[in-house]
Amino acid sequence: MRFRFCGDLDCPDWVLAEISTLAKLSSVKMKLLCAQVLKDLLGEGIDYDKVTKLTADAKFESGDVKATVAVLNFIFSSAAKHDVDSESLSSELQQLGLPKEHTTGLCKSYEDKHYALQGKLRETSLRLGRLESVSWRIDYTLSSSELREVNEPLIQLKLQSQGAESGSTETTVVSVSADKFRVLLAELKQAQIRMNALQ
Amino acid sequence: MLLVLSEEHKEHLSFLPQVDAAVVGEFGRIALEFLRRGTSPKIYEGAARKLGVSVEMVQHGVEGLMFLMTESSKHMISEVDFLDSVLVLGFSEELNQILLQLYLQHHAHIRSILSQLPSNQPAYHNLEWRLDVQLASRAVRQQVVPMLTLRLLLSGVGDGVCARRGKVLQTDPSTLLHLISTLEAALAAMKSSHARRIFRNIK
Repeated sequence: MRFRFCGDLDCPDWVLAEISTLAKLSSVKMKLLCAQVLKDLLGEGIDYDKVTKLTADAKFESGDVKATVAVLNFIFSSAAKHDVDSESLSSELQQLGLPKEHTTGLCKSYEDKHYALQGKLRETSLRLGRLESVSWRIDYTLSSSELREVNEPLIQLKLQSQGAESGSTETTVVSVSADKFRVLLAELKQAQIRMNALQ
Repeated sequence: MLLVLSEEHKEHLSFLPQVDAAVVGEFGRIALEFLRRGTSPKIYEGAARKLGVSVEMVQHGVEGLMFLMTESSKHMISEVDFLDSVLVLGFSEELNQILLQLYLQHHAHIRSILSQLPSNQPAYHNLEWRLDVQLASRAVRQQVVPMLTLRLLLSGVGDGVCARRGKVLQTDPSTLLHLISTLEAALAAMKSSHARRIFRNIK
């Protein structure tokens, strides 16, 4: 059976198994649990004490608690990833055996946070070497050991970027002569025109 | 199979019947902490003072106990074999039972610690990817070049699971298709009759 929220693939077996565990919670508790899991996905951190309190009534063991959080995590992130609307998600979850009240609660939480979730996922997509900051300085060379009167401007550029493989901040310092810098600026302006044309 | 204990080992363990059962349990706990985290001389000194024996005897007793546990867990010996091996030492029935309980409670845990000891190759941890299309470059405008960028995260060598190293790779769609078909062929090889015969025999 192909499910849209799994990206038109079969639903993983463990998700099927844990949906029945989810059904053991009351629908109110499940809605609160969804709110916690969504907070975690949006990067605000999850409060494990609250989660354990919510699942205490249904007498979940620690393995069950972890499984419930994992399955909710999977459903939300997978549905946001494949851009599933909440009605399709609702019908697919009911096909998998999640009771109607639980499904309505889950889909309502999903719908509220749908865009925020996709924004967060977009931010965490793979990006190599982000540019963090640029600083520059213009110097004027008066003379040097080679030539008594040089009289030329020189630009020093400092680029702070995130290393592609290491992920920590790397600093690159370059000095550019006036002509080279004019070429650099012209090419970057052309690239910017093309980028704006796309938007 | 029976464990064969060396004379020196038996001598170290002969300290155990001289103390009472609660102390043996305590030594068992210290021995397991030793496996997990190493030990400090302060623990031995404290125990030696309380029991009124030399530090060396306490240390030998704990180390002997730890060695007995690791050897038993390593070979996964059954209860009966464990009792027979310990019988050689000539301990009381009660002491034998305590040692057996210690072994049964902890052998799975000891095995998992032992399995982490040999150094590992870097292992797959995660794969992140992005699909880009190159539209223009400084030299050529009006291009359409699809490109897949991958970051392969590996769990570190010898640093345990904590260290992560990322390798950045780039591929075009045709190489990606070839990669996918090679990996699927590898998965299919697991289902071949030759592989199945081997798995049946290992079981």
